[in-house]
Amino acid sequence: MIWRGRIEVTFRRIIVCLALATDSLLGAGDEWAFAPVGNPSLPPVDDSEWAREELDRFILAGIEKRDYLPTKAAEKRTLVRRAYLDLHGLPPTIEQIEHFLGDEREDAWGKLIDELLESPRYGERWGRHWLDVARYADTNGMDEDIAHPTAWRYRDYVIKSFNEDKPFDQFIIEQLAGDLLPATDLAQKRMQTTGLGFLSVGPKMLACDDPDKMRRDIVDEQMDTMGRAFLGMTIGCARCHDHKIDPISIEDYYGLAGIFMSTKTLTKYSVVAEFHEHDLTEESHQERWRKVRDLEARQKKKETPKEEMDRLGAEIADLKKGLPAPFKVMGVTEYPTGNVRVHLRGDYLTLGEEVPRGVPSAWTQGKEVVMPEKQSGRLELARWIASAGNPLTSRVIVNRLWRWHFGRGIVPTPDNFGGLGERPSHPKLLDHLAQKFVESGWSVKAMHRLMMNSATYRQSAQADLALLEYDPENKLFARWQRCRIEAEVIRDSILLKSGRLDLKMGGSMLVVQPSKYVDRGRLKEHSLVPRRTVYLPVYRSSGYDGQKAFDAADPAVPDGNRRTSTVAGQALYLMNSKLMHESSKVLADLAVSSAADNRPAWLIEHILGRGATKDERLKGESFVKNYGDEKDALAAFSRVLLSSNEFLYVE
Amino acid sequence: MSLCGHRAGIPLSRREMLQRSGTGFGALALQAMLAREAAGKTKAPPLPGKAKRVIFLFMHGGPSTVDLFDPKPLLKRDNGKPFPLKAPRITSHKSKNLLLKSPWSCQQHGQSGAQVSELLPSIASIADDLCFVKSMHCSNSRHGGALLELHTGSDTFTRPSMGSWINYGLGSENENLPGFITINPSGSHGGAGAWSSAFLPAKYSGTRIGGKNGEMKVPFIDNPLQDRGKQRKELDLLASFNQEHLALRGADSELESRIASYELAFKMQMEVPGVQDVSSEPDHIKKLYGADVDPTKSFGEQCLMARRFSEAGVRFVQATHRYWDSHGNLRKEHEKLSAEMDKPVAGLILDLKQRGLLDETLVLWGGEFGRTPTAQGSDGRDHNPHGFTMFMAGGGIKAGTVYGSTDDYGYYAKDKPVHFNDLHATILHLMGIDHEQFTYRYAGRDFRLTDVEGKVVRGILS
Repeated sequence: MIWRGRIEVTFRRIIVCLALATDSLLGAGDEWAFAPVGNPSLPPVDDSEWAREELDRFILAGIEKRDYLPTKAAEKRTLVRRAYLDLHGLPPTIEQIEHFLGDEREDAWGKLIDELLESPRYGERWGRHWLDVARYADTNGMDEDIAHPTAWRYRDYVIKSFNEDKPFDQFIIEQLAGDLLPATDLAQKRMQTTGLGFLSVGPKMLACDDPDKMRRDIVDEQMDTMGRAFLGMTIGCARCHDHKIDPISIEDYYGLAGIFMSTKTLTKYSVVAEFHEHDLTEESHQERWRKVRDLEARQKKKETPKEEMDRLGAEIADLKKGLPAPFKVMGVTEYPTGNVRVHLRGDYLTLGEEVPRGVPSAWTQGKEVVMPEKQSGRLELARWIASAGNPLTSRVIVNRLWRWHFGRGIVPTPDNFGGLGERPSHPKLLDHLAQKFVESGWSVKAMHRLMMNSATYRQSAQADLALLEYDPENKLFARWQRCRIEAEVIRDSILLKSGRLDLKMGGSMLVVQPSKYVDRGRLKEHSLVPRRTVYLPVYRSSGYDGQKAFDAADPAVPDGNRRTSTVAGQALYLMNSKLMHESSKVLADLAVSSAADNRPAWLIEHILGRGATKDERLKGESFVKNYGDEKDALAAFSRVLLSSNEFLYVE
Repeated sequence: MSLCGHRAGIPLSRREMLQRSGTGFGALALQAMLAREAAGKTKAPPLPGKAKRVIFLFMHGGPSTVDLFDPKPLLKRDNGKPFPLKAPRITSHKSKNLLLKSPWSCQQHGQSGAQVSELLPSIASIADDLCFVKSMHCSNSRHGGALLELHTGSDTFTRPSMGSWINYGLGSENENLPGFITINPSGSHGGAGAWSSAFLPAKYSGTRIGGKNGEMKVPFIDNPLQDRGKQRKELDLLASFNQEHLALRGADSELESRIASYELAFKMQMEVPGVQDVSSEPDHIKKLYGADVDPTKSFGEQCLMARRFSEAGVRFVQATHRYWDSHGNLRKEHEKLSAEMDKPVAGLILDLKQRGLLDETLVLWGGEFGRTPTAQGSDGRDHNPHGFTMFMAGGGIKAGTVYGSTDDYGYYAKDKPVHFNDLHATILHLMGIDHEQFTYRYAGRDFRLTDVEGKVVRGILS
């Protein structure tokens, strides 16, 4: 809750706050998510043939219980497109489609999934999912939109972690306490430390005249993000009062806050504040950089004579020769360790009892997480979150993966497993998956294989009408849910199909100095760079019109459940944007230079990945004839295909 | 219907959908989409609202309302002396807290006797159409925090803008136009946060029309081909492909909505530029706003554009005038800014009145905070979130009123203080929405524009 120091209203705040919350308390109260993960036995089913994976039994039992049937499997052509868009965020080429259709081996589908998981395109797609949860941005946003010049390293780290199938428990620990882990060499140190971007890249009010409030607000944001991302818990309410719905009291909050108050995020809390960065430049290079900076300082002095200037310039150039850029990365570090006193009604000007740092005992089932004397306790907290015995963490992440594959979570509120979130539709399935996940060594790729190999995943979207009517939201998962491709996928797919997508990975496009304001004027420039959208800098105070129109995640808050809207602004983008018009021109050129006798038909094959029907050929021909210039017509025809529902939806 | 993730609006029933897709396309699909739009309406029982639309004239930077509307004899008398009351615990700049008398004089105007500075003769001349709230206050002494609090109700978290809330609550009056337009907003101090829909569905987000006068555009509204006929052919072909695609799949309200969205976009493309074009206005109207000559031309055109959008049914239009942040150079800057702003604002209110639109349009004028009665340097004032003036006119507002007051020096809101949360509660009330019942469920909690605060300011209602 908000923490403002307006004491006179905080009582009322608590009461209204609860009213806003308890309105939705139907059925809540038991803390199902805190119960140990069970090992549920497979339910009996009538149809013993359907299931391909154990998880299918849980789904099928639910469907049969309501006297429905699962939907037939989708055709291979549909499945291959689904798999590419799901795992890579890019549609397959016609060759890739044909290749899969021609593969008649028993395990062709499994082989395809393996192949897709090996490609670096996979990490770009699924790393982006995680970046939604990490509310990733290259700028601060809020009041002062200052650059995060090294945040991109965190983004690249996330992509790499997914590509390498880093065990998720390790991924969690690095993001919360990577600086406190032992490292055998500099490369490992850098990698682990980079994970800390998770805590640092959040939005902050950097021009707050009250440094104490600023620090506490930052800690609050970090705790809330951590809670939602890993535990599906909202922690923020307990800043002002005992949480009446979830098991966290005001003492618990300040116990946790002690850990984060013993952690340094900024180096300066006065206006305008500055972020802490770890300098992990190699030692010998650090030395050279120090010299460069000394010389540069001398260069800047007015009284330096010209000859010396030249000499200095030469010396600097010499020092810089072959000198790699300094390795700096945004991330938190340790502060002197201390406990925090309870802030009565959330107000730090009225302090209560001191609370020892720690993890809420209601969460740990009474098993105390021992806090070190001389360290913040972040590492201990991280290890507790990432422990196999933690019932929340594994459930939350497998549910996220399920949500991103199927469009709907087993718990439909992936960021909230608390009393105010929705209950799981298949609680035993959730436990089954959580169990498998931990058994696999927290392997995300193992989960992809499991989920995608299932009969549940392979169902067609062409469902029985009675089923559609009974279960419009697909709570039973008795069919595939047709689904619009996301903002990034739209842009990347258009670039890909027009042959313009630059697959260069990593690095930063930002042109900024640390702690300096970003230049929003550059957004347009960025958006024209034909690289995958995940690499475009994310400006929290602005954003790309095209991306926003298609519901790209707002980096203000963790979002594991993007919405999908349909609005006229999206149509305007597809009708009129530069991206669309430039791409369609290139496509027209490609069509003309192809050897195809029917160019519109070639475009259908190229863009939609299937042969044109006779009717479409005719329509295409007549469209081109009636439009005017042939190239213009083919460009227009390309736009039609790129805007079509067939292109924009995953079947 | 087909839920991919969670989706805005309440879907039609399956049966309704099937019936519709059985009977044809185009208009029906469009209707379906509009029904979906309408479905996002307020949960609260709508009260009889007086205002249908809002025009917010935002004075970015914090105008010195102690100079413009709130003259204090003691400030004049004690010029140069220390501020005798307790200074705020938190201030934006360190200060010796010495009082600085106003370089200008104010006079009483109209029946209400409202005080208005000599810098604002046009606004002074319509004092009886206005309601001055002289006891405004907010919680943050920095531009970003205060600006976001004014626009969203929160200076701590990212929340939907009031324009988004109002559109979410009342829906659109004109489907061919965006419901929330912000003209020339500031990219700094929160940027898009000030017009973002945050957790409300994206369609309630403000549409920014930025850039220089004459070049401001709704994003992607221009067809690069400049050929409506050709684009029509494209859209017809697209519709025919999409219909075949749909026919193979049976009913799907989302696919239908998308088909309809192109028709909507096409209409929007035809309508927006015309509505936006102020050049078509007759000369006497341009004169009224000062849109014909400098220094009023730029903001005059924006106010005129705001009226045109509002008249065409845009629920919430904002125009921003900047930059009132006179830490130094107060005299020169405030004289220049006042000269740019005075006539356009008065012109807008007069124009709305003569068109009979003022009764149903709420006009709001103000900055993210005011400025201190104490000096910064010899010719400047610091931010003052503790007491400042805003004024309103039109839809449901008691005209010719002066409400609340500050202390004897104009530093703190004293009599009948009005916080931004109270302002929001009042705006919603004027539009027929009970701010305590008006909620949106997000991440398991019901959120309000006024969070857990806000009281309707009854004393300014007509």
